[in-house]
Amino acid sequence: MIHLENVSVEYPNGVRALKDVSISIYKGEFIFLVGSTGSGKSTFLSLLYRGMLPTQGKVVVDGEDITSLKPSAVPYLRRKLGIVFQDFKLLPQKNVWENMAFALRVIGTDPREIRRRIGDVLELVGLTHRCDSFPHQMSGGEQQRAAIARALINHPTLLIADEPTGNLDPATSWEIMQLLEQINVRGTTVLVATHDSQIVDRMKKRVIQLEAGVVVRDVNKGMYEHCEA
Amino acid sequence: MKLRNVEFIIQESFTGIWRNGLMAFASISTIALSLGVLGAFVMAALGATHFARTQIGQFQIAVFMRGEANRSRTDDVASQIRKMTGVGSVEVRDRDQEWLDFKRQHPNIDSAGLPTNVLPYAMDVKVSDPNKLPTIASKVRVLGGVDTVIEGRETFHRVMAVAKVVSIVSVAGAIMLLVTTAFIISNAIRLTLYARRREIRIMQLVGATNRFIRLPLFIEGIVFGTAGALVAWCLLRLGSMYLAHAVERITPLLGRASSGVEPSALAVYLVITGAAIGAVGSMVSIRRFLTD
Repeated sequence: MIHLENVSVEYPNGVRALKDVSISIYKGEFIFLVGSTGSGKSTFLSLLYRGMLPTQGKVVVDGEDITSLKPSAVPYLRRKLGIVFQDFKLLPQKNVWENMAFALRVIGTDPREIRRRIGDVLELVGLTHRCDSFPHQMSGGEQQRAAIARALINHPTLLIADEPTGNLDPATSWEIMQLLEQINVRGTTVLVATHDSQIVDRMKKRVIQLEAGVVVRDVNKGMYEHCEA
Repeated sequence: MKLRNVEFIIQESFTGIWRNGLMAFASISTIALSLGVLGAFVMAALGATHFARTQIGQFQIAVFMRGEANRSRTDDVASQIRKMTGVGSVEVRDRDQEWLDFKRQHPNIDSAGLPTNVLPYAMDVKVSDPNKLPTIASKVRVLGGVDTVIEGRETFHRVMAVAKVVSIVSVAGAIMLLVTTAFIISNAIRLTLYARRREIRIMQLVGATNRFIRLPLFIEGIVFGTAGALVAWCLLRLGSMYLAHAVERITPLLGRASSGVEPSALAVYLVITGAAIGAVGSMVSIRRFLTD
């Protein structure tokens, strides 16, 4: 699904965000990407949707080396991915239904198809009753559900979430994680960058830990902190 | 591109304008004011040039024949002058009519012992090329039977100098203003784009092609430019009508002040400029956003 080969990223200001990272993520996995602020998590994620290009190395997503992708092909890569952020990135002037429809219309989907898909995906995230609400009328948890619904609407093979629970209380965070797990069970590969140690410890998934741009730990059924026995 | 996409793009352009109402108002009024100032300047410059040109058209040479020259001699001189290059028209004055007017203005002429017409034959020569005026005057002066030639050289030189300054200043000023206007307008468009950066970011993330992102904003730019131009046109029409009346009231001799530009032509120029600046401005600003 995802292969990083000797990937390094150096920002123009000289900061090396990733140093020679090589890692493989397989189809259907659920992965936590952990590490302190500035460890390179967001850089790692944005490489995957071509938010940036690596200074060195190869990034393969869904069998395709996306570092050699032409700019005009980038939108088509993103249509295969679902991306969720800490700040939800919903359009404030559009209600939930319109936010979903917008994501589909901008890629030229047929209106009948749009109606069908929105119905399905809102049911999956449990927001059917909120489809007329505007973002400011909803709680943070509901807004994040709406954002996840939008990310899922193209049936992505990979769902990328950058601190999806960063703005949410623990109970709501746990609900969102369960929703992501449910999505993973249905076959979507899920990659979550997070600070939330409680959630990571409780979910017992594969954990990749970055520190100062280097992968320092990669364990299955891992915990947030590395515990020496 | 499929029809439903075209429909969506047009719909998005207009809901975009509608929902960002305040931003739209700001952009349109900025464009209207900048184009209004530019238009007013260009109109004033054209008006000045137009005025100078009509004054130049009125430059003429008055030719007075000697007392002994008769009508046929005068007509002969007139036809010689007509053949000179740079001469627009030659009109021999009606001597009898002039005499009648003269007597009416001076009722005691008869008592002064001037019973018959003592006025010399005279003619007015209009030049088509004001620069040739001095040459023509000196050529006419040596023709047989010609007594005096009055050419108004002083006024001519003064008006020509003013016309030259006016045209240089207006061309330089128009260029400067055009650059400033383009800058102000592209800035206004950049602000509306900045207000919508969230939307643009989301479109990029869900995989909208650049063309799909660009088109509604492009249409928006053209709509803003055109709307601003129309507002500017209304302002200019009202302003120039008011000014024309004021000038007529203050100096009736000048007649109606006019820039020589038809209102409909002005509207077309303004709309073309507005739409073009809107289109180019939005393209340039969007390019910046999309490369991020």
